[in-house]
Amino acid sequence: MTKYFIQFVQSHEEFRLPELESLAKIENVKISYNREDYKKNCPFLIIEIDTEEEAIRLVKRAILIRNIYELWGTGKSYEEVHTRVKAKPERWPPYNYKSFKFTVSAFGSTCSSDYQVGIINTFAYLGFKGEINLKDPEVQFGVLEDYGLDPAPPTEPYMIYFGRLIASGNRDLIQTYNLKKRKYIGNTSMDAELSLIMANQALAAPGKLIYDPFVGTGSFLLTCAQFGSFTMGSDIDGRQIRGKTNRSIKSNVEQYHLRGKVLDTFVFDICHHPWRDNLWFDAIVTDPPYGVRAGAKTLGRKNPSKRSLTTKLIDGTPAYEEENSYPPTKPYEMSEVLSDLLEFAARFLVLGGRLVYWLPTVVDEYSNSDLPEHPSMRLISNSEQNFGQWARRLITMEKFKENIIGDRANIHNVKGLDNLSFVYKKKDVSPNEEEITNTKGKKKPGHYLFREKVGLVEI
Amino acid sequence: MRLVAHNMLQCHVKGCNSNNFPLQLSNVEIEIQETDFNPMFLRNILPKLEWNALVKTALQINITTLPNVLPDTSTDDLDDEFLKMLHRVLLETHIQQGKMICPNCNHVYAIKDGIPNMLLNENET
Repeated sequence: MTKYFIQFVQSHEEFRLPELESLAKIENVKISYNREDYKKNCPFLIIEIDTEEEAIRLVKRAILIRNIYELWGTGKSYEEVHTRVKAKPERWPPYNYKSFKFTVSAFGSTCSSDYQVGIINTFAYLGFKGEINLKDPEVQFGVLEDYGLDPAPPTEPYMIYFGRLIASGNRDLIQTYNLKKRKYIGNTSMDAELSLIMANQALAAPGKLIYDPFVGTGSFLLTCAQFGSFTMGSDIDGRQIRGKTNRSIKSNVEQYHLRGKVLDTFVFDICHHPWRDNLWFDAIVTDPPYGVRAGAKTLGRKNPSKRSLTTKLIDGTPAYEEENSYPPTKPYEMSEVLSDLLEFAARFLVLGGRLVYWLPTVVDEYSNSDLPEHPSMRLISNSEQNFGQWARRLITMEKFKENIIGDRANIHNVKGLDNLSFVYKKKDVSPNEEEITNTKGKKKPGHYLFREKVGLVEI
Repeated sequence: MRLVAHNMLQCHVKGCNSNNFPLQLSNVEIEIQETDFNPMFLRNILPKLEWNALVKTALQINITTLPNVLPDTSTDDLDDEFLKMLHRVLLETHIQQGKMICPNCNHVYAIKDGIPNMLLNENET
C-alpha cells in the first residue's frame, strides 16, 4: 500500500469520514487510516491505498475532499519533511522532465508570495528540469502547512505535508446544482452540497433505483441521478411536484439533462402507499417534513368524527380525481414519520441498501441512544449539522438482514409518552431547564416534541 | 408515468387486497420520449417485474413486441436487441393522460401530465 494524504474541506466536519467510507464502498477501494489521526479541526488525513488508480477513483465524486496527494514527506519542521523526501529519491526521476507546478498553502494562516518562493526553493534538490507551467502542468506538487484553528495561529506550523497531487474531488458539482441557479425550488429545497453528500451516503451509482418518499421539489432525485442512479419520488402534495408552468420537478430534470434517469413522481401519502411488495429500492434518500419548515401531514382529519364516509364529489367526479385537490390531512407526529420510514425501508430496500435521512434534534437533549432502530437496519453514520439550539443529523442506515413481517421500528417509547405532552404546553416551560423524564424516569429523545420546542426558530 | 412504474403500483384502497394489480389503463394518451439505453438498470429491475402484468398492460396500449414468457434473467447474456426493445417499452413509453382502474374495487386513479394521483379518498384509508 502507498501512503497518500487527503485534504478535506474545513466544513461539515462530521460528514467527511462517512463520505470517505461511502466512496470507498462505492468504488470498492480498500483504504486504511488511523482513526485517531482524524481530527475535526484539521483538514488533513494520511491514508493508505493500494494503487494510484484507486486513489483517483476514490475521490472523483467526493464533495468534502478537495485533493488527494501522494505523500512524499511530512513532519513538524521542514528539516523532517526534507529528510523523508530525500529518503526515497527513486520517486523523483519520472518527473525530471515534466512541466510542473509547486504550490504552498497554509491552513489557519496566510503566507506571502515571498515566503512561498522561499519554501519552494528549499526543494531545489529534487532537480526537476521541466518547465514551470502554472496553467496546465503535467505534474503538480503541494506543500501544505497546518497552523490549526486557534484565533491566534502559532508562528510555526503544527504539521507540514508535502506530496504530488493525484486527483481532486468534485466540488464543482456544488455550483452546478446551486439552488440559485435552479429553476424550480421551494422553501424546503436542500442545498446542493448536502444533497450531493446524501447521494454519496446512499451509494448512488449507475443502474440503481433510488426513492424519495417525501420528494418535495425533488433535490435528491437530481443529485442521485447525477451519479447514474435512476430515481423516483412521491409526495402527498402534488402541487409541489407539478409546480407552475415551466417551473416544476420536470423543468429541473430538463435543466440538468437527467430526463432518462429521473423516472417518475407520484402523488400519495407514504403511510398509504401503492407500492407492490418487492425489494424495489437500492436506497431511500429523504428529508422528512418534521415541521421545522413544513409541517408533516398524513391523510386523515384532526377530528375523526368529521370523517366523511362517502366520497366527496366536485362537479360530479370524486374529489381525489381532481389533480389539484388536496385531501383532508392531520399532523403527522414525528415519531410516526420515523417509524413509518424505518419500517418502509426495512420492507422495500434490497439487502445492503441504504436509508439516508435527516433527523432534527434539540441539541441539549440529544443522545445517541435516541436514534430510531429497526431489527433489519443498522446504523452506518450519524453526522450533525448544528444550528445552535437545534441541529439536524444526517442518519445513514443499511438494511443488513431480511425484514420479518411484524418487525417494528423502535422509536424509544415516544408514542407512549405523547400523553405527557401537556407538560410542554405550559407556556412558561423552557425545554432546556425542564427535566425531561417519563413515568419510568427515562430520558426522552432529543427529537421528542421537537416541533413545539423549536417553534420559535424559523429557518 | 413510464410503464416500469405502472408495474410497481397496485390498488391500495383499504381492504382491496386481491386482484388489485395490474391497474387497468383507460382513455390513456401515450407519448414516446427517447432516452439513453442503460442495460445495467434493466438487468436490475427486470427480475423484480411481474412479466404477465407487463405483457397484459402493454397489449392494452397496442404494444405487441413483448414475448409471452420472460427469457431467463438469471444470466447476464440477455441480448442487446431484447434489452433495447424492453428499454423502449419500460422507459420510453409514457402514459401522459388517462386513468388507471383497479380490476377489483374499480377505484380510479387519474394520470395528469404524466403524474399519477394515487391519493385515496378518506373513506378508503
